[in-house]
Amino acid sequence: MTDADYAKTSKPHPNIVAIEVLKKNGVNVEKLKELITKGVGAEFTTYYYYTILRMHCTGLEGEGIKEIVEDARIEDRNHFEAMTPRLYELGGALPRDIRKFADQAGCPDAFLPDNWEDINSILKVLLEAEQCAIRSWGEVCDMTAGKDPRTYDIAQRIMQEEVEHEAWFIELLSKRPSGHFRRKFAGQSPHTGSQGGLIHL
Amino acid sequence: MIHRLCNAQDIADNSWNVFTVNNSVDVMVGFRNGKLFAFDNSCPHKGAPLSKGEFNGDRIVCHRHFYEFNIFSGKLENMPSWKKEDTWVEQNPAWRSSGDLKLYHAFIKEGSIYVEIP
Ligand code: FES
Ligand SMILES: [Fe+2]
Ligand SMILES: [Fe+2]
Repeated sequence: MTDADYAKTSKPHPNIVAIEVLKKNGVNVEKLKELITKGVGAEFTTYYYYTILRMHCTGLEGEGIKEIVEDARIEDRNHFEAMTPRLYELGGALPRDIRKFADQAGCPDAFLPDNWEDINSILKVLLEAEQCAIRSWGEVCDMTAGKDPRTYDIAQRIMQEEVEHEAWFIELLSKRPSGHFRRKFAGQSPHTGSQGGLIHL
Repeated sequence: MIHRLCNAQDIADNSWNVFTVNNSVDVMVGFRNGKLFAFDNSCPHKGAPLSKGEFNGDRIVCHRHFYEFNIFSGKLENMPSWKKEDTWVEQNPAWRSSGDLKLYHAFIKEGSIYVEIP
């Protein structure tokens, strides 16, 4: 049984036009599903690890970055929410076992660094995680641009927020201005939408 | 099945191109110091397109997590995430594990590059 088979129905529908047109446009749908499964895996694990990182933003300096880490944390969860329905539309499925889901994730685990009391060490982990996310959603954008407008639309919205996240953490590490000003509320996700404002609700 | 991809002179030395064969297999084909190579464009680690990588000697360095694969033997030869670096804590073995490159037999005949896709 392959990973997605557990979720198969007993009467598979023979003709899904929304997938057929993608194939005609030259989209490798199997490959796309693989990249999306790994991409949403990375969002979900990152959401988990960012929770730990945020808890360790302590002291005066930690307090200064706590809110921005919280924005990035909730927005990663929103990315998982935004893309996962698309995986199912394409005929894919989340791995049945969350351990497998984590091991196949497209980005490394954003573990709490040993020297976390140095706030820069936390910022570096956050930055690398955002950079991996930019690379992986960029691949999905490349695969779907001009061929699969629905996946592209979601992936590019996620990308917009990942690019912002990278810029924030670079600003905090190096002072390079990012144009950042606080979100209207924690984890607002101005591009992908958040609770109550999901792009597909 | 053997597929003709392009004229040999269409790919400059120390560069590559990606060809989609049968609408499903992405093959990365190029020359490294005059020697032809061909392999599946999907990184055996987490599936990133290797065509976004760069050469390091006879290795292709994947852009996603910087694993390095020998483009002629296909072997995984270096994995930076194995090392415990400044802040990046070592990853668990299941996440790190990766196969080798999927190599394809490619050859030049009468000025054209061909690749064999089993
Ligand atoms: S996907 Fe290529 S190194 Fe991880
Ligand atoms: Fe994200
Ligand atoms: Fe992010």
